[in-house]
Amino acid sequence: MTDFLRPATVEDALALMAAGGVVPLAGGTDLYPATQRRALPGLVLDVTGLPGLCGITTGPAGLRIGAATTWTALARATLPPALAALQQAAVEVGGIQIQNAGTIGGNLCNASPAADGVPPLLVLDTEVELVGHRGIRRLPLSQFLTGPRQTARQADELLTALHIPASALSGQSHFRKLGARAYLVISIAMVAVRLDLQAGRISHAALAVGACSATACRLPQVESALTGAPAAEAPALIRDADVAAALSPLDDLRATAAYRSGAAAELLRRSVATLCQPVPA
Amino acid sequence: MSRVQNTLIESVRKVVGWVPERWLPGGTPDPLIGRHGAVGTQLAQLDGPQKVRGAARFAAEVPLEGLCYAALVNSPVTRGRITRLDTAAAEAAPGVLLVLTYRNMPRLGLVPLMGVTNLGAVGNSALPILQDDQIRYNGQVMALVLAETQQQADHAARLIDLSVDTAPALSDFQAAKPEARTPASILVERNEQSAGDAEAALRQAAFSTDATYTTPGHNHAAIELHGVTAHWTGNRLVLHDATQAVAPTAAALAKLFGLRREDVRVLSPFVGGGFGAKGFWDHQVLAVAAARMVDRPVRLMLSREAVFRMVGGRSPTEQRVAIGADAEGRFTALIHTGYSVMPPYSASPEQYTLGTRSLYRAQSYRFGQKHLDLDIVPNTFMRAPGESVGSFAVESAVDELAHAMDIDPVELRLRNEPETHPLTGTPFSQRALATAWRQGADRFGWDARSTMPRARRDGEWLLGMGCAAGNFPYVRMPSGALRIRLTRDGQATLSTSAQDMGMGTATVQTQHAADRLGLPLDAITFEMGDSDLPAAPVAGGSSQTVSIAAAIAAAASKLTVELLRLAGNASPLAGLRAGEVRLAEGGLVCIEDPTRRETYGDILTRAGRDEISVTETGAPPLEIFKYAMLSHSANFCEVRVSDVTGELRVTRLLGVFDVGTILNPRMAVSQLRGGMIMGLGMALSEEVLFDERSGRIMNPGLADYHIPAHLDVPEIDVTWTGIPDPRSPLGARGIGEIGITGVAAAIANAVFNATGKRLRDLPLTLDRLIGAEGA
Repeated sequence: MTDFLRPATVEDALALMAAGGVVPLAGGTDLYPATQRRALPGLVLDVTGLPGLCGITTGPAGLRIGAATTWTALARATLPPALAALQQAAVEVGGIQIQNAGTIGGNLCNASPAADGVPPLLVLDTEVELVGHRGIRRLPLSQFLTGPRQTARQADELLTALHIPASALSGQSHFRKLGARAYLVISIAMVAVRLDLQAGRISHAALAVGACSATACRLPQVESALTGAPAAEAPALIRDADVAAALSPLDDLRATAAYRSGAAAELLRRSVATLCQPVPA
Repeated sequence: MSRVQNTLIESVRKVVGWVPERWLPGGTPDPLIGRHGAVGTQLAQLDGPQKVRGAARFAAEVPLEGLCYAALVNSPVTRGRITRLDTAAAEAAPGVLLVLTYRNMPRLGLVPLMGVTNLGAVGNSALPILQDDQIRYNGQVMALVLAETQQQADHAARLIDLSVDTAPALSDFQAAKPEARTPASILVERNEQSAGDAEAALRQAAFSTDATYTTPGHNHAAIELHGVTAHWTGNRLVLHDATQAVAPTAAALAKLFGLRREDVRVLSPFVGGGFGAKGFWDHQVLAVAAARMVDRPVRLMLSREAVFRMVGGRSPTEQRVAIGADAEGRFTALIHTGYSVMPPYSASPEQYTLGTRSLYRAQSYRFGQKHLDLDIVPNTFMRAPGESVGSFAVESAVDELAHAMDIDPVELRLRNEPETHPLTGTPFSQRALATAWRQGADRFGWDARSTMPRARRDGEWLLGMGCAAGNFPYVRMPSGALRIRLTRDGQATLSTSAQDMGMGTATVQTQHAADRLGLPLDAITFEMGDSDLPAAPVAGGSSQTVSIAAAIAAAASKLTVELLRLAGNASPLAGLRAGEVRLAEGGLVCIEDPTRRETYGDILTRAGRDEISVTETGAPPLEIFKYAMLSHSANFCEVRVSDVTGELRVTRLLGVFDVGTILNPRMAVSQLRGGMIMGLGMALSEEVLFDERSGRIMNPGLADYHIPAHLDVPEIDVTWTGIPDPRSPLGARGIGEIGITGVAAAIANAVFNATGKRLRDLPLTLDRLIGAEGA
């Protein structure tokens, strides 16, 4: 077949994409089912052969995650506790085979409102790196995701990496998702929380909720309510009304809107409680 | 399904009622009942090693010289007419051998629908297959592409350019209700039946419940996809099929393609799960026609999505159940009515009220079902069609009444156990549901249940227990034939075209034959899955085990007569008649004087014969008209429901089954537990999401149609009363479908006990378990 491309360099990839009508393919776990056909449509460009797209590297500026890094690779990597939420999400994306094939960059480009990778990356102040023939640009993840199934990526650009600034690598994080059953399920609501604790108080809080709005989002109002609070009192400071105000959930086949926002608040309280538990001596 | 049928069946019932018991099948209990032989042992599946090694060859795995591969194009719309069908690009694509559309498809007649008035028929759809430009449901086949490889066929199928003039379609369940049809009969039963004035009795009852319950559509998900390999040699056709109906499929193909029956051979030695889905659908016909046109063998395997779109599933239902009771809890009225979908071109009436008709004694009754015509893929039989979803409604209602009356739900059921069939007064052949209830309550620890909802808690988790009965009729098919060939070295081969969809047909009938013929297990060979063998009926309605058992018993009787004739006057058996001997220890033995005996080998040797062969058909199943014959189950369930999120986890299930003799405990546990897991899926997650605007199934695959995964399935305890049915061959009743019945109600009832929330619509999802709904 001539409609499958697997370039060996980013330059070749960009040249091929400049012609237009090219669909980038990573793990294929979203792209392939979405075709509803036995074959992928049109011209497909496999990015997994490109250098630098797989793997995680650390530098003075922070952490770089190649866009084609798989969930399994993320789950198995040794990473700071701030990325615990991302690693917990990695083992809840579909089944093992999906985790072996699916990639973090693909999860972002697919831009499902229920993408499991997004809330853990939002609490890490993640930026995405886009490469096009006009050069390289970086965007905060919250600006990259513009709507359901919509991103700021231009048709001739490639998502090559995610950058997590050193400032966001502090503290510990936690991820929770809720579906109609224990496993192998699309989220009704999911949350990621990253907290810095100092002397029994929260010095910094980052909270994000997915599957409850057009794109997953941070909750600045709830974050400020938590900042400075004693750890033991933190869960009770997360009020349903504040969470609901930050979200715009849908009524759909998986759950009602009211259920979703209530569930999100509860999941946040549980994640905060988990992170605020005194560490056993 | 006509009034004529009702009259006929009721006449048969009346006449059989007059006939003395001893003249009927089962009138004299099968002498093998209670005998401790190979039946009842834990023999492992005989084909297990073959399957584990990958040596068992399924229909879509048969290698053939010159094999070519088919891909299908399914309609994206529900009703309409093809206005443009350009196949040029597909025909020009690499490797393509044929593009089959309504234009070049051979003109074929309709396939007769299977049904009780036409037991030899096998069709699941009475719609034309690629005969015209009309589209009748979303998913209907528009074209078949044949190529040298599967990839080439799939590729070329995408190149077909199809335009459709869309027409209005009926796809809304609620909108179709005013036009609902009331059939005269449901399977062999008169549809609308009543006794007394049930509505008046309900209004006057001291206690009552009256509610509507809904169940969504369900789709088949057998692990093996539907697949065939078809090849012609001149005017002879061989079809390797995955089917529950080997001989009827051969007969249907012969008729459709104008062939002699003996020129069609259907082979189906292994089937990877049937559950009602592996019947006769469009794909067999398409593959056979295509193979003939290119004069090469053709393989066609449906995708998982195509199984959802082209092979029907269980109809959605909307059911009303109302029960009235006096102060002691005795039912004064029992009403079960409702709606399901059954277009005129489908075969399955989803008989959700039939189980209720024999479940409880009441002073008055009203039963009836209405059918809705929608433009859908023909709905079909799916494990316990009717009883699976009907038991959810009636057994939820009994639980509601028990709560309203503050009576233990087991006790309420025991107070309403009928002595004889509630509608006809016919005696039950065997019914020990009360025993099953008591046995189960004890084994499950039912007395730990709180009668008040929301009373047991473990942190945020509310704990609850529920129970529900299930039932399923005994069915034995008429006219199953079987051949026994006995050789001089004491080996017996039993041959019938029957089907084994993984449940162990060959294994259990090998056990049976060993006992029936008085031979060791390793002297028995059981052949099946080939339409050239004596014709067995369809494997459906949990009927196959007893149908084959009756044929083996009949053939063994005939064999006895033949052997005595061969034995002649020089034998120690000389002068004995068939009724005076039994088959035991490798020969014939005189019952009165066991010293008079002779082995099969000696009889054949003296007669100068290498072998003897007899073919016989089981006696007509008249016992089902003389007795009320049903299996029963008592299901118990324990759940945990998060009071915060509504997450529901089933933690324990117990099924106590009253199903006659258990022929092989190891396989029976597996069969019954598998049924219960399907019931769990029905309760928790299974739901066809149907777009009522487009008539399209939105979740045609296992990513979105959720069957239970390992983490959803708790410990499941399976046990039984073990009481034989004196009126059936071996004392057995089929166990393929009873497992699913009652499970969803037991779970919903446990959810009520845990949370105080009554959910009357399946599946039971977490968002409906918190908040205002159902309170």
